[in-house]
Amino acid sequence: MAPRFSLGIDLGTSNSAVAAARVEDGQPEIIEITQALGPGRIGEKATLPSAVYIPHPDEFPEGAFSLPWRTADRGAPIIGHFARDHGALVPDRLIVSAKSWLSNPHIDPRERRLPWKSEIKEEKLSAFDCARLYLEHVRESFAYAMRNRGEDAALSDAQIVVTVPASFDEIARNLTAEAAEAAGLGKVTLLEEPLAAFYAWTAQAGKDWRAQVRPGDIVLVCDVGGGTADFSLIAISEKEGSLDLNRISVGEHILLGGDNMDLALAYTLRANLEAEGKSIGETQFLALKHAAGKAKEAMLEDESIAELPVAAPSRGSSLFGGAVSTKLDRRTLEQVVVEGFFPKTAIADLPKQSRRAGLQEFGLPYAADPVISKHLARFLTRSRENVQASEALRALVGAEALSKPFLAPTVVLFNGGVFKAAPIRRRILELLADWNDGETVRELAGVQLDLAVAKGASFFGCNRITGKGIRIKAGASRSYYIGLESSMPAVPGFTPPLKALCVVPQGMEEGSEFLIEGGDLALVTGQPAEFRFFSSQVRSGDAPGQILPDAERELEEISLLEVDLPTIEGVPPGQAIPVQINAVLTELGALELWMKHTQSDRRWKVEFQVRTE
Amino acid sequence: MRKLSILLAVVLLVLAAVALVPDANLEPYAETAHTALPWAIVGVAFLLLLALLAERPKAAPPAPSPAEPVELPVAAPPTNQCDAEVVNFLALLQEKGRFVDFLMDDIARYSDAQVGAAGRVLHEGCRAVLLEHFGIRPMREEGEGSQVVVAPGYAADDYRLVGRISGEPPFTGTLIHHGWRAEWVKLPRLVRTRGDQPPAIAPAEVELG
Repeated sequence: MAPRFSLGIDLGTSNSAVAAARVEDGQPEIIEITQALGPGRIGEKATLPSAVYIPHPDEFPEGAFSLPWRTADRGAPIIGHFARDHGALVPDRLIVSAKSWLSNPHIDPRERRLPWKSEIKEEKLSAFDCARLYLEHVRESFAYAMRNRGEDAALSDAQIVVTVPASFDEIARNLTAEAAEAAGLGKVTLLEEPLAAFYAWTAQAGKDWRAQVRPGDIVLVCDVGGGTADFSLIAISEKEGSLDLNRISVGEHILLGGDNMDLALAYTLRANLEAEGKSIGETQFLALKHAAGKAKEAMLEDESIAELPVAAPSRGSSLFGGAVSTKLDRRTLEQVVVEGFFPKTAIADLPKQSRRAGLQEFGLPYAADPVISKHLARFLTRSRENVQASEALRALVGAEALSKPFLAPTVVLFNGGVFKAAPIRRRILELLADWNDGETVRELAGVQLDLAVAKGASFFGCNRITGKGIRIKAGASRSYYIGLESSMPAVPGFTPPLKALCVVPQGMEEGSEFLIEGGDLALVTGQPAEFRFFSSQVRSGDAPGQILPDAERELEEISLLEVDLPTIEGVPPGQAIPVQINAVLTELGALELWMKHTQSDRRWKVEFQVRTE
Repeated sequence: MRKLSILLAVVLLVLAAVALVPDANLEPYAETAHTALPWAIVGVAFLLLLALLAERPKAAPPAPSPAEPVELPVAAPPTNQCDAEVVNFLALLQEKGRFVDFLMDDIARYSDAQVGAAGRVLHEGCRAVLLEHFGIRPMREEGEGSQVVVAPGYAADDYRLVGRISGEPPFTGTLIHHGWRAEWVKLPRLVRTRGDQPPAIAPAEVELG
């Protein structure tokens, strides 16, 4: 039976949300999420903070965090608003940004190591566990909301779409899909967040949206949320009389967002307070950060406000004696937020790279450079490099777009809470116009910025069910390579370069597969084999089977591949058999690699492992 | 519950009475009183409203509220469920806006600047709670001071007529206060009660080194 409705789940780094749409009308509706607001207290909110708190077994009374659909044991992990707010005071027990850990190449996302660097005695969780817990909560809360409405909405009747950052590589995407399955959502379809934002915009603009973009346009989806910045480019062209949309470039995973801005403001305000001889502790600093964030929002929304008082309460019960207050004035706000994060830098001004010190801790790879303008410049420069590398992409954007050292967008779609602020949107438009020799860049307006991704995902789900409506062609976001040891005579002090065999081309379509010719691979039966695995976001021209001379110089190493070959009947153990690589991108967007015996139909699945060094 | 309402009404009366005392009699606290009294009156009035709301049998949930009363994994609701719910809401005001701290502190000992700083904490937090849990709209959308018509068959609950009241509606008069109503109510719910004891308004906070 065809699905009757579509469920879009925005599994966000800081907040998650869910929207549902019926096939008949295709209008996405946000479904509020029931969650713990305090011990013994529950309520509904539009978003579920992506935060897990691991309580001490004695910390809260039995059943304090029961939900309508589940009684909670003492010490069970707590998810949502209370987890985030309370955890801010007990950082040892709080897990946030689990999603970014999913795409961390150095830490096994299935290893129970979060909260990172914490010494609690209770069992820790893995990034994968956290994703599963959020999705499970969303599923149960959705079912509860539907029961309360008296609506019959079984998940078996739903097309489920889960969004991922465009910067996620295929391994992190596979993990997300697996987490969804483990959470009881079945096989879900994955969709990149910036594309979901674009779908949300088309849903909102209705039939009119086609009038607002035209062939030749390059749309920049600029998404800056609480903790991450994510960019994508969509090229609009014409094919057989109708609009053809292709996602032509995705950005890197940048851990930089609105929280950094609130923190920067709070540091500035704390310095002001200290200059007046008032000192504040850690808790008051958190309250100050919260209050500064609120004042920032208010002042960026209403540009006539010259200054706003910002107050942080004391911890003790005496509110009058202990509250400190200071003022946030417009000059400070502009200097810290607009000039600090979005200055008018040149297109050639790229972000400082983090030092690759050997002893660097493997924490989350927070952006070393806080200037978003420079990250945007880097993205547009790399996008041009990527498009230039493939004939098909060059044809899509046209020669003129490639005449500059970067790929110039003609239209911008903003997404993420940061862009609720008109001055920041304006600044990005000015910046792009400056880079583009003064030519103005249009803005696609009107999306509800913080809930667009969930809505867009459910809208996309409806399109998938009916087979109608617009579809942005995306395919594999990067190209992938297997490292091949070169056979060269050994020379002391010289490591032969590692060659790379392209196994997945960028843009490989969902529902397609390749059998890689050449490579002359052989695997020894009865033994596990390992391969180094690489990817690139800027080599759109590479074809499957192509061999690059030096993997380490041109590519990014992302994982280790492992295949465990059983002993095969008729082949003595320890003997090598010839294999070919079979790359599959499923309809749902999951990447699978197989080793196929050239002389039979047998094939063995390759597992992605974390690279450890 | 009725006792609580009466108690709150009395406190409200006392505060209102203090507000009416000429400034001269309040020296040297006149300044402070000007800042703090309206806050205190608003606060207590609000509590009274809550107490009254809790006393009334619960009306059917309004249209945009998604959740029906919960099917909870707890036993039959104890008799003091209403009290517990009100204390629960009070706890929310305390948590977000330090409501109880504000009212329980001795305001006379502090300067206006200190009271002002605390007032901002209270205002920001309590306002956020209010806007999140109630759909608050003016009863009348017209500007205060303008002439309005109170139509025949008006809901007497929603209007307080003052001045010379005679004849039949429609009544025409000056809008003094536009009134407030809750278009919808979406209160957080208790999933657990402690027998006869109401929930904590604010737990004692202990920092472990």
